[in-house]
Amino acid sequence: MRLGIILISAGLLTTALPALAHHSFAAEYDTSKKVELKGVVTKFEWLNPHAHFYMDVKGADGRVANWNLELASPNMLVRNGWKRTSLKEGDVVVAVASQAKDGTNTASLTTVTLANGTVLTFMAAPEEPAK
Amino acid sequence: MIRRLVVCLAIALTVFAQAPAGRGRGRGPTTPAGPTPRLPDGTPDFTGVWQGGGSNSGDISKGLKPGEEVVMLPWAEKLMKSRKSQDDPQANCLPFGVPRGAPYPWRIVRAPADGAATHMFILYEGNIHSYRQIFMTGKHPDDPDPTWYGHSVGHWEKDTLVVDTVGFNDKFWFDYLGHPHTEKLHTVERYTRTDLGNMTIEVTIDDPGAYAKPFTTTGKARLQPGEELLEYICQENNIDLVHVNAPAQLP
Repeated sequence: MRLGIILISAGLLTTALPALAHHSFAAEYDTSKKVELKGVVTKFEWLNPHAHFYMDVKGADGRVANWNLELASPNMLVRNGWKRTSLKEGDVVVAVASQAKDGTNTASLTTVTLANGTVLTFMAAPEEPAK
Repeated sequence: MIRRLVVCLAIALTVFAQAPAGRGRGRGPTTPAGPTPRLPDGTPDFTGVWQGGGSNSGDISKGLKPGEEVVMLPWAEKLMKSRKSQDDPQANCLPFGVPRGAPYPWRIVRAPADGAATHMFILYEGNIHSYRQIFMTGKHPDDPDPTWYGHSVGHWEKDTLVVDTVGFNDKFWFDYLGHPHTEKLHTVERYTRTDLGNMTIEVTIDDPGAYAKPFTTTGKARLQPGEELLEYICQENNIDLVHVNAPAQLP
């Protein structure tokens, strides 16, 4: 039960963060539906008004689909620990994200876990990289 | 058990509500304590980088003075209900206008820095990376061209900087819900640095073209010690709006 409470509290925080962006996330994404994506980063765009990274994800049928993951803006990311080098092409990652309501392979990032265990979020990165 | 859950949820909400907007995981600087700093002429010194202070960016009708309400004229209500999120000017990298809050820091610059100010400038990191100018001498032109930030004149009332603005265009939205306004909009902002780390900004909104009566919002800004404005060029790669295909709604 204690774990359940922690999860609910964390959920409130992570779903609230995208509200700090420049357009309505509720209009774009369904935050009640999370997708888990395992794959390889193909591109990291450190651009305004939102940074994005793209990743190839192999489906159950063996087909590879390229997903677009949206982050906060670089100014906000920098203030919260991200660097323009936090992700790079070829990184093997696991992303949890809210998919776009239009059903495309577009999603707002909740967390992305790197191979070394580092966990980054829509806007925040850990103070010190995981070792 | 339910009580424990309620307490935990309350703590989580309180922690988030108190975190400076635009910051994650409580990594922002601590708001300093102390008296309101003053310039040699006795006026409050607004120097510094600030966060917050606008109206409720989701719904301007939240946070009004007690007893007040937002009463839209029928055409304005109809327009608001027809609006789509992807058409929100700020989502399209256009200015917030006045007094919509932004999740980005801002700075007030007085010119000249010493002596009687002729101008006050508000520098916005976003949204958009722009500025407002407040004329501390002179008055409004008779027939100003409608613009995003309007024509602002300022004066001091004791420790409060009062900014009177007319000449707005009707393009920006007051909030994510799409509350509209007309070129008749007249705002009066009252900036009061209540102590070293805090500023209260009260804004009276009077637009007889869209609202039955004026209303007043109050925002709180906090000083961000050691912070600087960063570049934020929204137009650089604004590729997401194609997916924002829904009625105007809260963020």
